[in-house]
Amino acid sequence: MTAVALTQRTARFRPARALRLEIKHSAVVWVLPVLAALCYVNAYRTAAGYPPIWTVRASVITGANLVFFSVIAAGIAAWVATREGRRKTGDLLATTARAAWARQATVLAATAFWNVLAYLAGVAVIYIQTALQATWGGPPLWPVAVGVVGVAASCALGFTCGTLFPGRFTAPIVAVAVFAAWFAGVSAANSVNPNDVINLTSLKGAPALLVPAVGRPEDIEAGVYYHVPPDVSIAQVMVMGGVLLVMAGLLALLPAARVPGIRGLLPFAAGRRLTVVALAGIACGVAASATAFWMAGTGQYSLTTGWQIPALHDAADGQPVPYTPDCTGSAFTVCIHPAFAPYLGAMSAALQPAAAEIAGLPGAPVRAEMTMGYYALPAVAGTTAVYDYSPEYEEYGEASFWATPAMARTADWEQGMQQGFITWFVSGPAEQDSPAPTPAQQAVAIALLAKIGASVPPYPQFSQPGTQSGASSVSTTPGGSETQPAASAAQITAAATRLESLSSGARRAWLAANMAALRSGAITLAQLP
Amino acid sequence: MTAAQAITPPVPPAPPAAPAPAARRLAAGTRLAWLHLRSRRVPAALLALALLGGALRAQLHWHLMSGGALAEQGPMVIEAGAAVLVAMTAHSPFGEAERAAGRWLPYLRLGAALALTGIAIGALQLGVTGASVPGGVLVLARNVIGIAGIGLLASPVTGGLLAWVPPLGYLGFAEYALSQAWRNPWTWPVRPPADRGAWICAVLVFAVGLAAVTVRGARTSLADNG
Repeated sequence: MTAVALTQRTARFRPARALRLEIKHSAVVWVLPVLAALCYVNAYRTAAGYPPIWTVRASVITGANLVFFSVIAAGIAAWVATREGRRKTGDLLATTARAAWARQATVLAATAFWNVLAYLAGVAVIYIQTALQATWGGPPLWPVAVGVVGVAASCALGFTCGTLFPGRFTAPIVAVAVFAAWFAGVSAANSVNPNDVINLTSLKGAPALLVPAVGRPEDIEAGVYYHVPPDVSIAQVMVMGGVLLVMAGLLALLPAARVPGIRGLLPFAAGRRLTVVALAGIACGVAASATAFWMAGTGQYSLTTGWQIPALHDAADGQPVPYTPDCTGSAFTVCIHPAFAPYLGAMSAALQPAAAEIAGLPGAPVRAEMTMGYYALPAVAGTTAVYDYSPEYEEYGEASFWATPAMARTADWEQGMQQGFITWFVSGPAEQDSPAPTPAQQAVAIALLAKIGASVPPYPQFSQPGTQSGASSVSTTPGGSETQPAASAAQITAAATRLESLSSGARRAWLAANMAALRSGAITLAQLP
Repeated sequence: MTAAQAITPPVPPAPPAAPAPAARRLAAGTRLAWLHLRSRRVPAALLALALLGGALRAQLHWHLMSGGALAEQGPMVIEAGAAVLVAMTAHSPFGEAERAAGRWLPYLRLGAALALTGIAIGALQLGVTGASVPGGVLVLARNVIGIAGIGLLASPVTGGLLAWVPPLGYLGFAEYALSQAWRNPWTWPVRPPADRGAWICAVLVFAVGLAAVTVRGARTSLADNG
């Protein structure tokens, strides 16, 4: 090897080595404890409070977790970008053979590397925790892609700002601006989410969908019965990827990134190829973001799969996911979707005593099945032998599957499920059409619940202040096509006590003879034995 | 001209009357304070505070962050930004040389931090005049005081230029506390305006941070000059 060849080889720019050095000496390492603490508080704890459903748990990684990682990433990237100015190394670096943009790009890459790595570590912790508890499904990867691109885009944004406006206040102002921008976007995104069942089918998508929503997801069943289409995630990646491209292109074009470069101050003076590539990157970024913005505006909400964007939607994503329910019990069988298998024991413990109490009565179910649908009411009692319950539907007991499996093993949760079950059994069509059971139905339900040790459900009369002293209401009974007289909580309780005090045989005999009339609303409180 | 005339020096003009000592001290003190504030980029911080006041006004006027907890979280972000600016002015570009030469330095640090905190509260309150900010001026002031205290407390460790990281970390924690309806006094941003424990915590943190900055100043590194 000649001396010239050796010199040429050593003079060759080795970006991997420069990147390794930047990674090794990156200031982001000192911020990692703060990121870890924020991830633990905002993401890990929140996810641990959700049921072990993959889609539900994954919602935190694009929610609060992404917001706080983006804020810190943007701020620290802006801080790193001002390094040459802070350390007054501009003149020294101006003598190096490599252009300033290449050096800046290496610093940006190292900063993004640490932030993305920290983000992925947080995601891994949450996913491992979920994997240990979930009984069905697998980790969604599109939210991870959204988060990674979001953190990288925040780094690029902060770095570009730091390069453009080097100063001591740049980093915090960029961080606060990113924080405020996220919250403004989240506010807009939350405003288009389907909170209102009445307007649900008329909801149209909006560009605000491009911001991941923060807070509890709308649908506990997302990804359980149907695959979640990646439409919105793709649009989000496009928007944030577009921002990343624009910022990287600006960084290459900015005179500030070229000073103290070797070719001068003018944007077009540092090499035509770089300029063309940078302009192409900016154009692609703007195009990607604008296209995603437009596509998100065409989004539509589906009751089964959530938001869909027609231009990105694959019909195969809308197919139901086959499953075999997990069941337990012989005389009364309780079945549940395998995704909710950790709740099967608690559900069975709640429903078996209640089912035994009403066994043999007309219309008594022999099976309980979990069905899909927050908005679909269960089949009317007396017309079916199956009690359909939804993981979304919070009935009178206000117990739902939003509780963790550990919370579901408490007496309160079980009593809530019993209250919903017995109320459904005695109500019949009245429950479908009326805001509350009739006073007679309430009294019967309270008596039956008392026999199995459950408390009084929060019926309207019992939920109002001063209910025990005589608040009353008029009950309309569509089945009986008549209006029952008003009854106070005290009157209902007294009737329930009378029924409860009957012998078991007498009570069952009266219920067997009058259950159909009771469900139809034809029986008044005074007619109870 | 004779030789005698040539060697006789001309009579110098009478010097102007020297200013009174008090006036001279006042002028020197004013100049010292002004130089101190300039070295801490306080004029730029004042401009940034005015911008934050405008941002808070815009947020409330156009309901940019509304709905649920966001109505409280939004102003909290702006208030944290103002508090962070207070903490970042603690950074000195001179380092050890300034510490060795200036005996008035602790007083200047103390005065600058106190004055800027007051100005931050005033600027934000001016921005929300005529609008309704959750919790009113008491919560606004408590948030600025407490979060600025965290930044001041951190600056002897992290240096003034990175003093924004712990306050924003605390802000992230406070946002979670708000969503979870925590009631601990050290989560003062989520407490009611008249909560005594929250006020004690916020003022205590500010006092300790102020004392730390007054006595020790922000950690300085010759490599960093912002």
